[in-house]
Amino acid sequence: MRRWLQPLVPLLLMLAIGVAALDGQRARNAPRQKARAAAPPAAVPAQSAPPTAAAAPGSLSPRNANYLIEARLDSRQRMITGREWLTWRNITGVSTSELRYHLYYNAFKNTRSTWLRERAAAGRLSRPLSSLGETDWGWTEVTAVRLVGAGDAPPIDLTADRRYVAPDDGNTDDETVMVVPLPRAVAPGETINVYLEWTSQVPRTFSRTGAIGHFFFLGQWFPKVGVLQEDGWNCHQFHASTEFFSDYGIYDVKLTVPKGWAIGATGIERETRDNPDATTTHRFYQEDVHDFAWTTSPSYVVKQARFEQAGLPPVEMRLLLQPEHADQADRHFAATRAALRYYGQWYGPYPYPHITIVDPAWQSGAGGMEYPTLFTAGTRWIAPADVADPEGVTVHECGHQFWYALVGNNEFEDAWLDEGFNTYSTGRTMTLAFTPNYQSFRVLGGFVPVVMHDLPVNREVDEDGLPSYREGAKLDAQSTPSWRYWPGAGGALSYSKTALWLNTLERHLGWPTMQRIMSTFFTRWKFRHPKPQDFFAVVNEVSGRDMTWFFDQVYRSSNIFDYAVSDLRSGPVTASGFFDVKGKVDYAAESPAPGRFRTTVVVRRLGEGVFPVDVLVTFKNGEALRERWDGRDRWKMFTYERATEAVSAQVDPERVLLLDVDYANNSRTLEPRGEAAATKWTLKWMSWLQDLLLTAAFFV
Amino acid sequence: MVLKAVRDGMRRVNGAPVVLASVLVLTFLLALPLGLVLRGMLGESLGASLAADTAASGVNSDWWSTFASQASGLAVTFTPRIIGFGAVASNLSAVLDAQPQALVVTGAAVAYLLLWTFLVGGILDRYARNRPTRTAAFFSACGVYFGRFLRLAVFAAVGYLVLFGALHRWMFDVFYPWATHDWTVERTALFLRLALYVVFGGLLLAFNLWLDYAKVRAVVEDRRSMIGALIAACRFIRRHPAQAVGLYLADSLLFIVVIAIYAAIVPGAGTTGSSMWLGFALSEAYLLLRLWVKLVFHASEVSLFQALLAHASYVAAPLPVWPESPSAEAIGRP
Repeated sequence: MRRWLQPLVPLLLMLAIGVAALDGQRARNAPRQKARAAAPPAAVPAQSAPPTAAAAPGSLSPRNANYLIEARLDSRQRMITGREWLTWRNITGVSTSELRYHLYYNAFKNTRSTWLRERAAAGRLSRPLSSLGETDWGWTEVTAVRLVGAGDAPPIDLTADRRYVAPDDGNTDDETVMVVPLPRAVAPGETINVYLEWTSQVPRTFSRTGAIGHFFFLGQWFPKVGVLQEDGWNCHQFHASTEFFSDYGIYDVKLTVPKGWAIGATGIERETRDNPDATTTHRFYQEDVHDFAWTTSPSYVVKQARFEQAGLPPVEMRLLLQPEHADQADRHFAATRAALRYYGQWYGPYPYPHITIVDPAWQSGAGGMEYPTLFTAGTRWIAPADVADPEGVTVHECGHQFWYALVGNNEFEDAWLDEGFNTYSTGRTMTLAFTPNYQSFRVLGGFVPVVMHDLPVNREVDEDGLPSYREGAKLDAQSTPSWRYWPGAGGALSYSKTALWLNTLERHLGWPTMQRIMSTFFTRWKFRHPKPQDFFAVVNEVSGRDMTWFFDQVYRSSNIFDYAVSDLRSGPVTASGFFDVKGKVDYAAESPAPGRFRTTVVVRRLGEGVFPVDVLVTFKNGEALRERWDGRDRWKMFTYERATEAVSAQVDPERVLLLDVDYANNSRTLEPRGEAAATKWTLKWMSWLQDLLLTAAFFV
Repeated sequence: MVLKAVRDGMRRVNGAPVVLASVLVLTFLLALPLGLVLRGMLGESLGASLAADTAASGVNSDWWSTFASQASGLAVTFTPRIIGFGAVASNLSAVLDAQPQALVVTGAAVAYLLLWTFLVGGILDRYARNRPTRTAAFFSACGVYFGRFLRLAVFAAVGYLVLFGALHRWMFDVFYPWATHDWTVERTALFLRLALYVVFGGLLLAFNLWLDYAKVRAVVEDRRSMIGALIAACRFIRRHPAQAVGLYLADSLLFIVVIAIYAAIVPGAGTTGSSMWLGFALSEAYLLLRLWVKLVFHASEVSLFQALLAHASYVAAPLPVWPESPSAEAIGRP
């Protein structure tokens, strides 16, 4: 802060709070009213450091949405009072006469919000809304908005002009997007400064943000400006199927929390100051990020470690751990190291010198979520060493630093661009770094794990999520904007389908090509907002092939893939009927030709999806014949005459097409082999059933 | 006294190996038809696919997930939880958490309970007499007590309904969520849940113990009124709480030992061929031990009751003759 300004700060603050209180009262009563008469100029508290107006030379991102935020948490009332100075630059080629802000906490305001309506419609409410108490809900109330003029120009009060809009569904009860009309248009390249005050009720952890007990995780907690694009504002309401989208900038944030509480946030802590009212103010600073999240709790155990890998920049890792998980610190660090290492080597280095890992409190619902330079993992008190659960979620959320934080796609519209890319990458990393890794299930109220040592986690099926995709394959085409997905379809389409088709692409093109594709896309689009066609263009460019046919199917349609061997016959060559013998048509019944066998294989395309596949026919003498089928027709027959019978036939034997929803029908043997396996599994099942019967017999 | 009853119970069970073998065979036979149906489904799914090879040599999770995605009816019960100790853990947990089973499995369980309701009279009679009674007498006793135990089963069903339908629901669906609503430490919640299991389990076992002695008194004292048997059982437990509860806990310890042994040696997925049959034999041996423990419960309770209130091998009713109708008896007389 400039020294000459310091004495003025308390006076300015008091003035601002008084004006804000009056404005807030007025605004609360009629936030939806259209523009009123222009409000008189109001004071704006001095900034402690003016945000950068333009991207500095050498900056990593455009830095066109820079925030200076001061927020105070009242942990008892679960309230946040905050104010922010936004310096926003129009980096598009079009002018705009308004700003649009996300007010995500209003999604938790009442059951009429779009988010809760959609979740209820999809049956995805974890508990009945009637069980929520008054303090469980959340909301954000913007109490003052002022356009700060340049130089000595007085600020212009825009508080009364703000209103809520519902650009996606017209839901007039939804208050997650606020429009602030500007007195004049902001031209391309022009920068404006907007001052804003707000109060938030922190919800009980509904969905990844909120509070429970003394645990606070605050994501999407401040009024955040949307993204202006050439076709206007991209500022969606908060939906059940979507996450977030915002511009890059600098965040300089002061957070005041109860003294003695540990705190973690996006960025690096630059300053700590104890206040006379038993609170502490922490200042965090981070450049070139598009969001800011933080957490605080008196219970955290704080651990530090360092990531070092040849060829990659070092990263300081800070872990905020629940005391009951204190013995799992190494597992969290190991998983973070694995993600930073493999993602860094495959795609490009993690550019920030620090990262914060948050282990959320039990029942907080805040686990498994990504924010720039900070992410939440999630583990259990009983976490078997051979079940890589904390590792899996840690790798995945850390991986989002690359796919989401650095490559900043629009998660509202193309959530698959980060979730799918990251699921694919997580599977690769887990396979390399954390084996053996077994499946498990939990008994006794979901607390006690039972490890299934016969079921190792398999990348193709389990990590990529084939069962999930199979269930939701037809719910939507992937090209449907993610916020319009059927609420239950996000997992299947954004995560699993993408991971499966990326892995299919990897098998089709080979890993070296795939790695070049991903790293090219990463390098080209980091700190920017790519669209699907940008990725498709990179695939075509790097692979040197036109893969449009592939994306037409996996992205632009909801077609499923299912190839099958429907018939395999192999037997001695015989013929009967009328034959030309010495110029005369004569009837003959040929006996089997010795040592000659005719094999017929019929492969079918049962799904709508088309993909070139190999067909492999194996004969008794060990000979194997491989055919290439373009997979377009509904069926194709292959016929062979050989000295021996066939043993089996397989379509897509290497399982390149991981999207095939029924791989069990991809092969056929001449002699059925299912009986022995069926007997084995029936005996297992009968042992289970008899045990169940005996358990029931307790009651007699 | 307790240990003596346990030892005597074991001796009586071991002295009637046909009873033990028979209930094992009956358990197997009840599961067999459903097993054959499932085998047909699995055989059809695996058919002439190469997936059968991996499913035979281990676990083909890819095929399994495909099968599960198309499953309905009986097939939905074919989940990876059936492998190894997961089967036992999930079945016990399902009781403690009052989780419903698939309809077809519930049907089989109800049939099994009816079967036991029929057999338990004969079993108790055999252990109470403590000497071979031959098949006809055994089934005569089954027939004699079946009607009585059906009446007792109605009372038991009401009691279990109250325990699971009301008390369990209140403890685990109302109280537990309410108590842990703002808890942020999983370990504490687990301890609370375990405490609730102890409380609920205690009540469940107490009710079960009461019903056990009602059956014992019905057989040993030839009681026809099941209300009278329940009152008498209550009186017996009240007068000999240490012995009755101690015996129940000692028998429960046997159950825990059997479960622990099985957990240590339980076969996994395995392969086909001889190892498949060996694994199945091991599972059947475990089931045999479970049945043995169940029978030891009955036999030791009979032994304790006879030791405290009557004398060893005392049974009020004469050895039943089948059929036990007056006209049949008249035909039988010279």
